[in-house]
Amino acid sequence: MTEALVVVEDLHIHFGAARAVDGVNLAVMPGEVLALVGESGSGKTTLIRAIQGLTHPTSGKVLFEGKEADARHLPDVQMVFQDPTGALNPRRTVSEIVAEGLRIEKFKGNEAEAVSTALSRAGLRPPERFLRRFPHEISGGQRQRVVIAGAMVTEPRLLLADEPVASLDASIRGEILGLLRNLVDTTGLAVLVVTHDLGLAWNIADRVAVMYLGRIIEVGPTEELLDSPKHPYTKALLSVVPETRGMEQQILSGEIPDPKRIPSGCRFHPRCPVLQSGESERLGIAERCRGEDPAIISAAATREAACWAVKAIAVAG
Amino acid sequence: MTALLSVRDLTVTYRTSQGEVPAVRGVSFELEPGGSLGLAGESGCGKSTMANAILRLLPAGITTTGEVLLGEEDVLTMKPGRLRAVRWTGAAIVFQGALHALNPVQRVIDQITEPIILHKTEPDKKAAEKRAVDLLGQVGIPANRAEDYPHQLSGGQRQRVLIAMALACDPDLLIADEPTTALDLMVQAQVLAVLEKLRAERQLSMIFITHDLSVLTYVCDRLAVMYAGRIVERGPSDQVFERPTHPYTRALAAAFPTIGDRESRMNPSGLKGDPPDPAALPAGCPFHPRCPDAIDRCRDAEPPLLPSGPAQEAACILARP
Repeated sequence: MTEALVVVEDLHIHFGAARAVDGVNLAVMPGEVLALVGESGSGKTTLIRAIQGLTHPTSGKVLFEGKEADARHLPDVQMVFQDPTGALNPRRTVSEIVAEGLRIEKFKGNEAEAVSTALSRAGLRPPERFLRRFPHEISGGQRQRVVIAGAMVTEPRLLLADEPVASLDASIRGEILGLLRNLVDTTGLAVLVVTHDLGLAWNIADRVAVMYLGRIIEVGPTEELLDSPKHPYTKALLSVVPETRGMEQQILSGEIPDPKRIPSGCRFHPRCPVLQSGESERLGIAERCRGEDPAIISAAATREAACWAVKAIAVAG
Repeated sequence: MTALLSVRDLTVTYRTSQGEVPAVRGVSFELEPGGSLGLAGESGCGKSTMANAILRLLPAGITTTGEVLLGEEDVLTMKPGRLRAVRWTGAAIVFQGALHALNPVQRVIDQITEPIILHKTEPDKKAAEKRAVDLLGQVGIPANRAEDYPHQLSGGQRQRVLIAMALACDPDLLIADEPTTALDLMVQAQVLAVLEKLRAERQLSMIFITHDLSVLTYVCDRLAVMYAGRIVERGPSDQVFERPTHPYTRALAAAFPTIGDRESRMNPSGLKGDPPDPAALPAGCPFHPRCPDAIDRCRDAEPPLLPSGPAQEAACILARP
């Protein structure tokens, strides 16, 4: 079996009383695209920062290639942000922007060559056409390619992409997603993409992990998870994606609770349609849903949902 | 039946250092009472400019020509006083980015009450406040939050406050410009459900603007797709989404994959190139440089909007029934 590139072990990150990450196990394998799906307030961003070594765990650990993650891994772990216009320094040329990562790590090789290679890989060809341009002189799609070239120039092992296409035009979106997938397939890079866009996951991800209030509540191969979601939260999310047709909409009331006041029992129970419909009662697990926290999904799990009802049905069935 | 809104040959031209830039280039459409029209297109295609032009909200120095008939009256030639009244009682607009559109130092109830008192659509302050609480209830915000300041509400709640505010003077038409773009999935679904309920209950007409075609299909009966300042395809929304006849609509529809559709799995679909610069539109059909189906004739002239199927129209020489 291949060694995992990143291993997150029983990670807890608290900010005062707020439990932003509240028990997460996760492995990212080389050469895979893993989509971390969740709404604002689910703890996705905190988790990503911990993988970069920028936020210290309250307990548990993050291992990058077997060693505890810290900011010194940055050449191996690069980040692509949502808004390319905000991420690029308007006073620098494309070549200076892309070379920045090399300068930070005091790269000894041929800088010009490395920059040109990164630009071509990101689909900006021929690279000479772009080297001396400023961000405002190129289009939005090209800007996001420059961001990706800047991230790829240090030949990282892991790319963390935070909503990489959310601020791009619809017609450009496919090109950028295709580029990310292609980089993974040709270089063995791993991409952890944070998104609330399930269509993006369907387009490029090998696996999906769904986060809710500081926990991963369901994980699985993309097709299995999106074709037949098990956790009631995943089911509800999928039902409201306009891109899923013919599914009855299940609009949850309210919003993700405050991480300072994570509900007792299953953290999803106050909004859970299975509990609300009386189904938990019929399965004889309603007390459990309200009082007992489902076990944290292990990093080795291929397909699992942290839900008492799913477990009860599996046992009965 | 007379149309509630009738836009005729609307053009909007910006004056910039590069000369005159046409943002909207001759758009015509009608909206029936209770109807809903979805406007799709990418940034720079003119959809938001058009929404603002309909209520004359564009800054000075921008030339607008054509007609915007709201009922019998032309908004573009209205006197300022009449315009002010029409903006709340005839047609109202909901913008994206609810945080910036609300006054941070005023309680939400007062922000909703203000236009009601100003336009005297309720007899007194007390009745106006009652109406404001009513409206908040309709968009799913409980009465005990009415006294809150915007920062005490979540993003989804603030967006719903904006909808309540737009409905304060009971307009016939609601223009929603990317009202759910900044919201999470579940909150977006909640807001769309509110709009749908209001539309059914009060026969409210809606113009809904976004770049996400699938959202529009879900909310609107009719769809118009804009490219480079013009409508390039329109028709009943399911039909346009499922059987697009313009190659640009096909690309937009494919950009957001249907989950479960094997063809799009590991195969994201997009278009080469970028939306054109309105100051330097390509000759002929402005879409031809990016069009996968373009032929030589596409460079000759800009195709008019003509029937391309039952109840459907497209501005493409290859899309004819």
